[in-house]
Amino acid sequence: MISLTSPVETPFHRWPAGLKLAGLSAATFLMFLTDDPWLLLAALGGVVAAYAIGGWRFLAAGLRLLRPVWVFVVVVAAWHLYTADLVGGSAVVLRLLAAVGMANLVTMTTRLSDMIAVIRLLLAPLRRIGLSTGALEIAVALVIRFVPVLAQKGGNLAEAWRARSPRRAGWRIVAPLALMALDDADHVAEALRARGGVQ
Amino acid sequence: MRHATDMPEQAGGVALAGVTFIRNDRRIIDDLTLRLDERRIGLVGRNGSGKSTLARLIAGLIPADSGDVRVGGVDVARDRKAAIRIVGILFQNPDHQIIFPTVAEEIAFGLGQLGEGKAGSRAGALEMLSRFGCTDWADRPVHVLSQGQRHLVCLMAVLAMQPGLIVLDEPLSGLDIPTTRALTAYLDRLDQQIIHITHDPATLAGYGRVLWLDQGKIALDGAPDQVLPAYVAAMQGGQDDLADLAG
Amino acid sequence: MERNIVLIALFAALIAALGLVPKLTLISGVPISAQSLGVMLCGTVLGAKRGALAVLLFLLLVAVGLPLLAGGRGGLGMFVGVTAGFLYGWVIAAFVTGWIVETWRSVPLFWSAFAASVVGGIIVLYVPGIIGMALVLDKPLAVATGFATPFLPGDVIKAVIAGLVTAALYRARPDSVLSRSR
Repeated sequence: MISLTSPVETPFHRWPAGLKLAGLSAATFLMFLTDDPWLLLAALGGVVAAYAIGGWRFLAAGLRLLRPVWVFVVVVAAWHLYTADLVGGSAVVLRLLAAVGMANLVTMTTRLSDMIAVIRLLLAPLRRIGLSTGALEIAVALVIRFVPVLAQKGGNLAEAWRARSPRRAGWRIVAPLALMALDDADHVAEALRARGGVQ
Repeated sequence: MRHATDMPEQAGGVALAGVTFIRNDRRIIDDLTLRLDERRIGLVGRNGSGKSTLARLIAGLIPADSGDVRVGGVDVARDRKAAIRIVGILFQNPDHQIIFPTVAEEIAFGLGQLGEGKAGSRAGALEMLSRFGCTDWADRPVHVLSQGQRHLVCLMAVLAMQPGLIVLDEPLSGLDIPTTRALTAYLDRLDQQIIHITHDPATLAGYGRVLWLDQGKIALDGAPDQVLPAYVAAMQGGQDDLADLAG
Repeated sequence: MERNIVLIALFAALIAALGLVPKLTLISGVPISAQSLGVMLCGTVLGAKRGALAVLLFLLLVAVGLPLLAGGRGGLGMFVGVTAGFLYGWVIAAFVTGWIVETWRSVPLFWSAFAASVVGGIIVLYVPGIIGMALVLDKPLAVATGFATPFLPGDVIKAVIAGLVTAALYRARPDSVLSRSR
């Protein structure tokens, strides 16, 4: 599956994933502590500058990833124009854009394998007390493997529905799709067992 | 041959003693006693005759309700650690078998299960891919491969674990003729003992022995030229209409 | 063990697939994502623990950068954005939904699955969702609640569908509905 990691290589791609995630958590936490629009504007400026280092294509991809936020930016801006609380409104909007933008920046510059390596690192204490993390690794692989399989089956079901009905299938394919997932699970569990199971 | 030393010199064949398997009050496998030592064994029978259940019993995936299933002397349903070195199984639908998103991960998984480290598993997987001349498949996502290619990935994943016996549960059904031919050619070249379940009697022509299973019992057992003509005649002698299916 | 892991993984994949395949459209023409239906089904079919784990696994993969949320969205930004509270809430929602179906067995499965989806998948889900919105948008809870209400009719319809689908699965494969078997 294609992850959201950007193919445009930036200097941030080479930063350690753990460092980026720790920095992101700290910065997000600090941003929610302050209501000073000037501080938050500086934060947003820093985020935009970081995107700019990656070049125009990278910046454009970053903006596309912000799509789910724009609706709320407009709503909040309209609200604060109406209540004439421009200082409070700009703090909310700036914080939202900076926080989401920065989180997306980490996502866009960190490879899936590096992210999973961080998760493995975080789980290391569990292994030390004797818990197996192999199950999680297999589960992660299975999800990535089965999203396209189930999506295709869903597409097939919708097609089979359309072949015999003038109306769109909609939710009516959810039950057969879930049934397929349940049946697939039995078979895959068997195949997993055939090769030694989960240790 | 990394794991060859851990395996018994001779796989020792399959031994079933009084095996019965019951599901929903139906005796799917009915008191079966068999020794299977031939290198190539075919298993035919109608849908619901118990073929797939027998395959799963031999692979140790399900325990028998009574009786004993041993492969190379190992109780395959209970001693899973030993069983995965001795018997591998290839299913009909590769999408039910492939666990990992990329080809190399899928093949490496079995090696990891046998105790190989991460790097060693990957090296073993690449070695297996090069044996089949598909080194460039290593990091390909499984879902972009064709059905036949995915079957081959399943076969490679099983072979990588070097089992002495491979059970084939109708792996060729639904494949086109060239793909069937190519996979059959791969299978024919294998040194392993093979138990092959199929609906297509033609693929069993060169086999050492063919079993015909009916309602959980052996209907006929012998050389292909004895069993297959009788089986085909029985299948074509029956009623052609679908009333049979409705029952 | 194997079966549990595979079921959890496949239902996580099912949530993702529901974001890709059917676009449900309300009579009013508001398109709604089927993913929260997937969350309800995780609870009603897999039960509390496995259902919550399936949702958690799905969110983990979204967090590491897979575009599994409806519309191809994903990444860490989703976890600090306006609707982040709903994502965190999904885990609790699946758990509560599953717990209710597991516990309340005296009525036909459709009714307990529907009621569980309303309680777990709507009421319980909206609490962290609305708190998250209020925090991120810096608005009073009442205002954030106002933002969330347009989604209510769609979610009630999803709860009905979750009930119907769960009952249908139970008819087809009684053993598969783990919240009821055992």
